[in-house]
Amino acid sequence: METLYLLIPLASLVGALGAGTTVASVREIGHRWAIPGVAVSFLLSLVVLADVLAGHTFNGAVYTWGAIGGLELEVGLLIDRLTAVMMAVVTFVSLAVHVYTIGYMHGDPGYNRFFAYIAGFTFFMLMLVMANNFLVLFFGWEGVGLVSYLLIGFWYTRESAIAASLKAFLVNRLGDIGFVLGLGAIYATLGTLAYEPVFARAGELASSTIAVLPGMPWSVASFAAIALFVGAMAKSAQIPLHVWLPDSMEGPTPISALIHAATMVTAGVFMLARLSPLYEQSLAALSLVLVVGALTALALGLVALVQHDIKRVIAYSTISQLGYMVVAMGISAYAAGIFHLMTHAFFKALLFLAAGSAIHAVADEQDMRRMGGLARHMPVTHWTFLIGALALCGIWPFAGYYSKDTIIEAAALSAIPGAGFAYWATLIGVGITAVYTFRMYFLTFHGPERMDAETRAHLHESARVITWPLVVLAVPSLLAGFFLLEPVVFGGYFGSSLFVAEGRDVLGELAHHHGGWGQYLPLALALAGVGLAYYLYMVRRDLPARLAAASGPAYSALVAKLGFDRLFEGWLAGAGRGLGRALWRGGDEHLIDGLAVNGTAGRVAAAAARLRGIQSGYVYHYAFSMLIGVFALVSWFFLA
Amino acid sequence: MTFGTPEMLAVLPELVVMGMALGLLVLDLYLRPDQRGITFALAVATLAVAAVLAAVLVPGEARTLLNGQFLHDRLGAVLKVFLLGGTALALIYGRRPLQRLAMYRGELFILMLLASAGMMLMASAGTLLMAYLGLELMSLSLYTMIAMDRDSIPATEGAVKYFLLGSLASGILLYGLSLVFGASGSLALDEIAAHAARAGVSDPLLVLGGVFVAIGLAFKLGAVPFHMWIPDVYHGSPSPVTVVLASTSKLAAFALLMRLLVGGLGPMAEQWQVIAGALAVLSLVVGNVVAIAQTAIKRMLAYSAIAHVGFLLIGLASAPTSGYMAPVLYMLLYTLMGAAAFGIVSMLDRDEAPARTIDDFAGLSRTHPWTAFLMLILMFALAGVPPTGGFMAKLYVFQAAVEADLVWLAVFGVLMAVIGAFYYLRVVKAMYFDPPERTLGPVGDRVAQGAVSVNALAVLGLGILPGPLVELSLFAVAGI
Amino acid sequence: MAVTQAIFYLFATVLVVAALMVITARNPVHSVLFLVLSFVNGAGLFLLAGAEFLAFTLILVYVGAVMVLFLFVLMMLDINLQRMREGFLNYLPLGAVIAFVLVVEMGAMLAAGGSGAVVGGDGALGGTEAGNTTLLGRVLYDTYLLPFEVAALVLLVALVAAIALTLRHRPDVKKQDPGQQVRVRREDRVRLVDMPTEGAPYAPDTGATGSKGGEG
Repeated sequence: METLYLLIPLASLVGALGAGTTVASVREIGHRWAIPGVAVSFLLSLVVLADVLAGHTFNGAVYTWGAIGGLELEVGLLIDRLTAVMMAVVTFVSLAVHVYTIGYMHGDPGYNRFFAYIAGFTFFMLMLVMANNFLVLFFGWEGVGLVSYLLIGFWYTRESAIAASLKAFLVNRLGDIGFVLGLGAIYATLGTLAYEPVFARAGELASSTIAVLPGMPWSVASFAAIALFVGAMAKSAQIPLHVWLPDSMEGPTPISALIHAATMVTAGVFMLARLSPLYEQSLAALSLVLVVGALTALALGLVALVQHDIKRVIAYSTISQLGYMVVAMGISAYAAGIFHLMTHAFFKALLFLAAGSAIHAVADEQDMRRMGGLARHMPVTHWTFLIGALALCGIWPFAGYYSKDTIIEAAALSAIPGAGFAYWATLIGVGITAVYTFRMYFLTFHGPERMDAETRAHLHESARVITWPLVVLAVPSLLAGFFLLEPVVFGGYFGSSLFVAEGRDVLGELAHHHGGWGQYLPLALALAGVGLAYYLYMVRRDLPARLAAASGPAYSALVAKLGFDRLFEGWLAGAGRGLGRALWRGGDEHLIDGLAVNGTAGRVAAAAARLRGIQSGYVYHYAFSMLIGVFALVSWFFLA
Repeated sequence: MTFGTPEMLAVLPELVVMGMALGLLVLDLYLRPDQRGITFALAVATLAVAAVLAAVLVPGEARTLLNGQFLHDRLGAVLKVFLLGGTALALIYGRRPLQRLAMYRGELFILMLLASAGMMLMASAGTLLMAYLGLELMSLSLYTMIAMDRDSIPATEGAVKYFLLGSLASGILLYGLSLVFGASGSLALDEIAAHAARAGVSDPLLVLGGVFVAIGLAFKLGAVPFHMWIPDVYHGSPSPVTVVLASTSKLAAFALLMRLLVGGLGPMAEQWQVIAGALAVLSLVVGNVVAIAQTAIKRMLAYSAIAHVGFLLIGLASAPTSGYMAPVLYMLLYTLMGAAAFGIVSMLDRDEAPARTIDDFAGLSRTHPWTAFLMLILMFALAGVPPTGGFMAKLYVFQAAVEADLVWLAVFGVLMAVIGAFYYLRVVKAMYFDPPERTLGPVGDRVAQGAVSVNALAVLGLGILPGPLVELSLFAVAGI
Repeated sequence: MAVTQAIFYLFATVLVVAALMVITARNPVHSVLFLVLSFVNGAGLFLLAGAEFLAFTLILVYVGAVMVLFLFVLMMLDINLQRMREGFLNYLPLGAVIAFVLVVEMGAMLAAGGSGAVVGGDGALGGTEAGNTTLLGRVLYDTYLLPFEVAALVLLVALVAAIALTLRHRPDVKKQDPGQQVRVRREDRVRLVDMPTEGAPYAPDTGATGSKGGEG
């Protein structure tokens, strides 16, 4: 079985490397490597899932890479129920996206390169998920970040794509500082980086303190948890480190679906769940997680209301939904969070891929103001998009209804500081979600056809290789909630792989209290939102513009994305650049370059020139130098 | 006395190489000049077969055979596999260049086989006599091979210098050996070790002998101040011979060192540890610093070889306390790196535009992207940049030094490695950032290209997955 | 005993002095002759130690063959002695100091070391019932078989090296190949050519011989 576990990521890696060898080829053959590789990963993941359900788990090292002092650098795998679910979801969505890509990237000169990247992404994501220690987690974490960077800048001749990829990279680097600090704190306190001993000794972390600022001792557990959460904020696009995700839509649509909606961005959420024994040690960290998640869920939903680019709307909705998941982590409803992660992976990938199909149909136009009426021309895309939209809004009986409502209800029951705010934020968020989702749906698929005549004449349904993955993804978007909610969230599926402290088990409580009027509130809000969207964008089409004009500053704040970009680009980056310039001129050029680097280099070069002179070329000089050596050594031993 | 089959079986790799050398000597007479490929192929095949035999016949525990002359143990077997493999690689890389130099002759292949036989005997020497005979067999063959490039003045000069200084070093070594013999009354290494354990430092004859032996070995390894021959000889030698000089003859010298200093004078480790430490410091400084001033690629690599001996000596200086795994690992990896780096240099060495200076590599990434990539790996590996094998080798050596309480030596080594990175990166810069100035022709034949690719990628792979080589090194030194 | 010792010291002194002269003599021919002298004295020491086979081998091989060869080579070569000795005096003082200190140090260390192990002696070659040569042969083909064979290989290398380095076929030099000359056949050298007669008046005999010269 151990070999099998190892085979899962390696199959994807082989696919990626194989596709990598075809990069130089002009023929579109990259998928011949990548798809079998990922397919093998997917099938084996299913085998592992079945095996795990039968009660077999694994935790151990498969390869020791090296040892430094007492620190063993091991490639270790942890296979339990949480891992198995994630593996299945990741490989399933990845496989669907791979197939879709054949059609979507057809004709692109970077076809083969694209396959090498996304298969490689699958490998890194699997390593991240399957890790049994922080080091392998970090390896996967950085690996997916790297591939994400490469893919956002995939069309590297576009300036905006390069800027976006750079932004994603820099913001994630910011998060990595936190991540590495967290790792450092854990290693410094416990002397190990493997999950098992860290979890077993999490109590020690809570009781030992670290003075981050002199004179202010702080529990290591809180420090590490919060530092790691900073990393998760960057990866999972939480306020204020979410700014890279909307821009990442510069990349091709399949990767928006795979990386920036379904899988990679959930890495932060996954990490929080994986490290639940650590987070349960720190109420402060949980509270922070909760508030940040709630803020993200609400605020970025609002921003989505005013976007015109269809992919950006979905991107903001992704951030908002990630906020829901993070809230679930904060209120210790880990199972609910992971469940939402799972359903979200399905319906958000579906939405992106369907949007991509629509974008392709209208000659790669992403602005919804130039779409409309596509429902008649593209029935499959339309229906699958609608399923995705309903699931996203949380309409019964679609998947999102079950997963999202569970989180909201759990928030209502939680006693962690900030839970009240989180409850209301997520509740209002439901209504907003419904409005922007159906605004997008109506603008794209109904109403007048606003594209130019040329494009309109060529409107047609996409090829089967594109529509089939949509259908395949629509099935779980429709059914996953209905069938899986009870066993996964309330049935104790995750067992020991998630840890919830005594007295915080809101999901356990919820299982008994299921009911009451509060249960129907989110659904009602969602329906109201859908109705509002229909009224605004189908019945009274003039109203949105007038509303925008009337709301004035609020509207412009939303258009300006609540000023976060400004904050980063204008102030932080500006200040950073200023500081950098000062350090560069003063510190680097004069001190380090002038004195240390070039100074040393100059001195070494001078010494080199002098020493080189000894090599005269005369044999007797050489022999003489040898004799001097003999003389010196013999004298040494004589005197010793 | 009788020689049983098991005894002969253990010496089989040596017998195969020697026998084939004699056989080829006769066979080559009957071949026309255009059939030289047969001799070539048979020589390579002989080395490969012997390597396989050495690997198959690896013994469970060490035994001395043939009246104690021959030591059959794991270390010897592992080293032999690398010695033979490295020499075979050198031959494969050298096919084209040798043809161009008019050195593609039967005599060269025979000498190559005899040199290999000498190296193998050094790795398996059970007595001082065998150690010395193996060394001379190898050295004489090497001198001749260098001189075979008769029309080249640098080659002739290099051969004469190597011969003269090598003879001087051999004399010093022999003097040391005779003192050791005189002190212990035996030629057998195990008996010498027993005597050394008994008498130890109190026997000045043994100490003095040990010092002279160490000096002789330092010359063969090329440690400062016994290094002066290295740049001139590496530079002057025909490139295919330089490959052997830089990789396998170094490994053979290391094997001899393991036999004489560790096997014979092991109980006097405290004495030669000091020598190793002092020579390590000198070699690191001179090798790394002077390499910076070099413009010729082979000279630069020659100084880099001196610097690498410095790192190796750090490992040896710490080995008595922290184990011999680190130096063995370092040497095995260096053999691979040296063979590939010099191999590429020799293959680029072509008629129209011989690659002699670093500037000749300018723009290689555009004309020969794959070769440039391989060279990039090798330069990084030599500099010790992760994730290449060179990094692992250095890491283990420094770790060994720290374990042996020689932290200052480790720190010094790291500093020198930083300086060293500079000149390796100069090659990389030339290959990737400078515009091509001269057009170099195709690189070697297909077989050679494939072999050098495997060789260089192995260097990279052993950095990513160092496990197998670490295991192998531990296996080799298990008996010590 | 005293006589033996006296003879030993005589041989040893002459040996050392002769060796010194080898490296200091101005004329290389003299150097070689001094070398011969030192060999002869070395052989005398061997005889004293009871190793008569080694003594005779030394005389026969080194003095009889090798040294004579050396002499021939030296006499045939025209060596500029002045140039070879340039710089010798410049380095002499420093070299002498270092050599002196080295000798003193080594001497002191060895003197402090006492006797060391006794090697060889009467029983070294195993009794007296067989001759020195027999015993040597036995040991060579028994205990030291492997080194003996390897030594043979070293000599083979020397042989191959000498031929490989000196034998070269230069295209601009013509030389005889006796083998070819012996193997030559009539057809290689003689060609019969039919020549038509030119008119009637003179033509009673037919043909003319054309000869084709060999290479030599």
